[in-house]
Amino acid sequence: MDTLLQILINGISTGAVYGLFALGYTLVFSVLGVINFAHGAVFTLGAYLTYLLVGGAVGSNGLLAGLQLPFALPFWAALPVAGLLTALVSLLVEATAFRPLRRHGAEPLLYLITSLGAGVILVNLLQILLGAEGYAMPTTALGSLPITLSLAGAQLRTVQLVLLVVAAVVLAVLSLWLEGSRGGKALQAVSEDATTARLLGIDSDAMIRLGFAVSGFLAGIAGGLVGLSLSITGPYFGISYGLKALGVLVLGGLGSVPGAVLAGLIVGGAEALVPGEWSGYKDAIAYAFLFAVLLLRPQGLLGRPQISKV
Amino acid sequence: MSAGSLGLRAPLLQIEGLSVRYGGITALRELSFTVGQGELVALLGANGAGKTTTLRAISRLVDAAAGRILWQGAELARLSTERTVRLGIGHCPEGRRVLARQSVATNLELGAWLRRDRSVIATDLERCYQLFPRLAERRQQLAGSLSGGEQQMLAIARALMGRPTLLLLDEPSLGLAPRLVAELMDTLAGLHREGLAMLLVEQNAAAALAIADRAVVLESGNLRLQGPAAELRHDPELQALYLGGAS
Repeated sequence: MDTLLQILINGISTGAVYGLFALGYTLVFSVLGVINFAHGAVFTLGAYLTYLLVGGAVGSNGLLAGLQLPFALPFWAALPVAGLLTALVSLLVEATAFRPLRRHGAEPLLYLITSLGAGVILVNLLQILLGAEGYAMPTTALGSLPITLSLAGAQLRTVQLVLLVVAAVVLAVLSLWLEGSRGGKALQAVSEDATTARLLGIDSDAMIRLGFAVSGFLAGIAGGLVGLSLSITGPYFGISYGLKALGVLVLGGLGSVPGAVLAGLIVGGAEALVPGEWSGYKDAIAYAFLFAVLLLRPQGLLGRPQISKV
Repeated sequence: MSAGSLGLRAPLLQIEGLSVRYGGITALRELSFTVGQGELVALLGANGAGKTTTLRAISRLVDAAAGRILWQGAELARLSTERTVRLGIGHCPEGRRVLARQSVATNLELGAWLRRDRSVIATDLERCYQLFPRLAERRQQLAGSLSGGEQQMLAIARALMGRPTLLLLDEPSLGLAPRLVAELMDTLAGLHREGLAMLLVEQNAAAALAIADRAVVLESGNLRLQGPAAELRHDPELQALYLGGAS
């Protein structure tokens, strides 16, 4: 029987990762006004890259069967490297699935299709290269940290604490960057009013690329963390997480950074409170909750009611 | 023979035969006029005459269908909006467009986005606060919480933070109380005396003509008349059209 503290930590740590993932959607949505449906695939990629970087071996099904990197990084080093690589892939997604459409002033609906297409291609590439089997992070990934820690009489999985600490640090750095740095302020300016930002000399294309890069970094980190805490169930495992993060995004309020974090914590917490014998219905319960909140508050928890710009 | 070889300086901004179309609708037809170094030109006309379109074409927010826009003799046509700002064309857009979710200070800071001269930026910021003391009192407040008049001041101050050579102003007096309009025009006249060139779009023709050197009057996308402001102030045709007969 889990103690309340265990449940709480599990809920918050899972929720913080949902928040990270949802923030990636938020960053792109706020500068471009569209949802990047390749985000879930980038998350998956982040999980695989982390797995490879910590010394995991590829199974026997894919083209890269048996591949293992000649080095094994500790998890704390592998995660940011995976994040940087997924940031680059996210830039590639922007250049192929978004930029050409933007040049032609395309309908927002078209981005949905092209980004979904980019996501499907990515996932299929992963399947071709690495096979469809599941992977669990090597137990050596966390080095000498014990599997469980006891805190106030409760036995906690170390992994959950790692999730919590990493997510908290990334979220804190991200908010400081958004609020305090030149680039963060410019990104917010573009998100509020792209035309005015251009009249101030801010290169909105560069800010859109920046949004995608940071978004890809967050997806990669979230993927690596989920891969560590559970396992990688196959190339499609980002899809269910991607949908849930989308739910978190909507629950928090489209475009709201604190909203995404708060909603992530709420959904994570709600899931953790589902008793073990009902765990098969976790997703149903999480979505029912989302549904109910949105009926009462369509703009999301911290979203602003739509204001039409003149 | 080019103007340069005759020893004449090209005007700061020269518009030649500019036409702009939105879809099938012609918003501007073969417009030509110039703004000289340090000159304040009023761009007048009724709603829909093409004033805002002219400014948007200069800032490269819309493409020209025909004609040329020359900045100190060089064509602007292929440049991005960001590039025109870098060249020294500030644009204070219609409807103020302050960044409502950012503080007054951040709005001003973003006005200096392209500049790297940190110490001069700090001096300019202090100057803006001197010019508009109400902004100084509200520097940490969100821009969205300011009154209309204060937002207008912020929009102008933000454009000044970019140190423009030419400032495009789109209806800065719109929605302001008469006392504030007078104050605003004084401020603009002061900036003009310091040598800032301006292209001032106004519906309040009387107020604009009172401070302008010259005026260009548009009607339905066509140039109606242009000339020295002092003459247009007493032009019977213009009086009838835009000044409602007031002297």
